[in-house]
Amino acid sequence: MNNMEEKLWNYIDGTCNEEERAAISALIEKDDIWRNAFDDMLQINSEISALSLDEPPMAFSYNVMEGIRAHEASKPLKTSVNKYVISAIAGFFIVAMVALAIFLLNNMSGSTATSVPDINIDLSIFTNSNLIKVFFYIDAMLLLFLADTIIRRKRNSAAVKSV
Amino acid sequence: MQSKFTDIELIQRTLKGDQQAYALLIKSHQRYVFTLALRFTKSREDAEEVAQDSFIKVYRSLSSFKQESKFSTWLYTIVYTTAMTRLRKRSNNTVALDDENSAIQIANSASTWDANMAEDRSRSFYLNQAIEQLPADDATVLTLFYHAEQSLEEIALIMGIEANGVKVKLFRARKRLKEMLERNLKHEVKELI
Repeated sequence: MNNMEEKLWNYIDGTCNEEERAAISALIEKDDIWRNAFDDMLQINSEISALSLDEPPMAFSYNVMEGIRAHEASKPLKTSVNKYVISAIAGFFIVAMVALAIFLLNNMSGSTATSVPDINIDLSIFTNSNLIKVFFYIDAMLLLFLADTIIRRKRNSAAVKSV
Repeated sequence: MQSKFTDIELIQRTLKGDQQAYALLIKSHQRYVFTLALRFTKSREDAEEVAQDSFIKVYRSLSSFKQESKFSTWLYTIVYTTAMTRLRKRSNNTVALDDENSAIQIANSASTWDANMAEDRSRSFYLNQAIEQLPADDATVLTLFYHAEQSLEEIALIMGIEANGVKVKLFRARKRLKEMLERNLKHEVKELI
């Protein structure tokens, strides 16, 4: 580096110590070469500082937000519920629907009923009040399990974000 | 554009899912980010893409911002690395980071001087032009120091070099800028004569 220029830039930037500062200040006052160089540097320094920033296009922030939305939308949709829970609920409802369908078909009268084979199943169990209680009990259990899973996931994601 | 919220407040709101807060954060930094990207890419289209990519990256990794530095320093680090990656990937029409000759070639091809208009041009026009002609690294150091109000230590963090290295780069950048400015002004005088 050119010694004089380097010292002058350090002086202008304020990166020199007090001793150097005093020495450079004295040189600027006494020496024409130092004073002229200092004036030139000071001029270019103030001109660079005064330059205006470039403006991005008008829709810049909108485009960025659109990009973020597109990125969020392209993320694979993760199942928020354990697949075993879904399978258990689906299995339970399929069994319940099949049982209900058989029950309804057996109780239908007329021509439609005659086309259904008589399978001779005792469906009185469906009217049993204990069975209904068990049905609601299992439903409540599944619901609690599902709620627990969702709350755990929300808590975990909040913890990750706060790091 | 100045927001009534601080960067940290906007970041916290963004992390809670408030996208409007992030839009405000973009608006308060977009001119600095765009200018910085432009110093690197030398083209408005590329600069817009670099700036957009940077803001999207920042959004995605906002939760990893530890607040150990200013948000602007962290943001400019991402802009710098995004721009560097883009420059490296661009195989054709490349401007090497420290290749002054290529910058001068661009300068010569871009200098379509009009003698009548030249008289009206202000010194800031020539200064802007000279900055555009500087190698990307020099223009970046100048922009970070003068416009983005980053200290030598913060620029060192952004560019991944020592603070003393930044000091040397800044010194060289100013020197080259002065030379470039003088060359352009001499060229104009010749054109006028």
